Amino acid sequence: MQTDPYTGPVPVAEHTVDAESERSAWRTHRARLLILGGVVALAVAYMVYAAFPGNTLYFVTVSEFLDDPKLHDGQTLRVAGALAPDTFRRDDGSTLSRFRLGDKQPDVPGAAPGSPQMEASYVGVLPDLFFNPHSEIILEGHYDGHEQVFATDNILVKCPSKYQSIQAENPDLVPGAVAPAQTY
Amino acid sequence: MAAIAGRGPTDSTLRVVIRDFRLWVLFATAALTIVDVYLIFVVAPTDQVLGHIQRIFYIHVPISILSFLGFLVCAVAGVGYLIRRGEIWDRVAHAAAEVGVVFVTLALVTGVIWARPVWGVWWTWEPRLTTTLILWLIYVAYLMIRHYAPTPQQGRAWSAVVGIIGFVDVPIVYYSVQWWRSIHPVQVIGPEAADDALEPIMARILIFSLVAMLALFAYLLLERVALRGTEDAVSVIRRQGTYD
Repeated sequence: MQTDPYTGPVPVAEHTVDAESERSAWRTHRARLLILGGVVALAVAYMVYAAFPGNTLYFVTVSEFLDDPKLHDGQTLRVAGALAPDTFRRDDGSTLSRFRLGDKQPDVPGAAPGSPQMEASYVGVLPDLFFNPHSEIILEGHYDGHEQVFATDNILVKCPSKYQSIQAENPDLVPGAVAPAQTY
Repeated sequence: MAAIAGRGPTDSTLRVVIRDFRLWVLFATAALTIVDVYLIFVVAPTDQVLGHIQRIFYIHVPISILSFLGFLVCAVAGVGYLIRRGEIWDRVAHAAAEVGVVFVTLALVTGVIWARPVWGVWWTWEPRLTTTLILWLIYVAYLMIRHYAPTPQQGRAWSAVVGIIGFVDVPIVYYSVQWWRSIHPVQVIGPEAADDALEPIMARILIFSLVAMLALFAYLLLERVALRGTEDAVSVIRRQGTYD
């Protein structure tokens, strides 16, 4: 049969004597596949639902959290805000950190002045950009009503959707230069 | 070029032209990629906040955009196949889906690598990441359904339907960072981007990177469409060998 693999039409597969028996085997098989697919879909849906406890928002802001007593029942949730200046405390030789989080306004470094603040605690290593004033900090954890503190399990850092070269603030540096060690 | 590619005694002129065009696209891809790597690692300025890790941006963003293009080609060719039933439509749709899956996989991998040092986690179930993973699953399902269907004709038609419906997720992925609260940065290029999101030099390198990876995308697509043609020809020969 003359065919052209690049341009010409290729004859389609023809039904053979086996086609009917293959089809009926497929039908019985299909019911099982559909049930299996349904179970997998439900499992995935449940996992997605479980990953967004309480609501479908990825996070609530600090003031939304403070204003809603329903969120204080110990459920796991994410709270986003900015580190309030001069509130970070950690003893030497300890990995327990205590700090306060205020609301974050876009393009404004640090916590918004006068915004309500939330006390939080965290045990572990802090992400590199935790202390950067442009970072928005997202805490995963639950409210500990006994200690009256937000007990953080994980800290995530959201960066501004904006990229700028280091020369903008350090004109002496040449392109490709290593960023100077940041001091906080 | 014909000398490099070699012209067999039965090759048609059109076939040689298509094959030579593929080779030119391959050479262009290689040249553009070498320049692109130089631009990304030497010319591009270091980001003020994120440091060197931000250079992955010049790979991550174009590759994500081109995965959308792959799924667009797949959906359009799928419509073409359902209307015209021509084999070439199915070959293009299948090839575009495969290239799209490769690109969206790389977008997920580069995203995971970038997220760990910057966000502090490899993965989080937030809208942009979750919808992108769903996009990956949809087009992996597209590739799987071709083989699960009882006949090749049904496989082509069913996968075309999956490719068309699955494309609905592409705008959802793109706008997810605006529709929902997200940890992912919003668009830095295109109509939704802020004017000052990128420095001019960064924007220019990003565009260059997009062109270089578009060449790679075009090469992979052309190569895969041609390979599909060969596969179809081989399957015809095999069937003749079995039933003659």
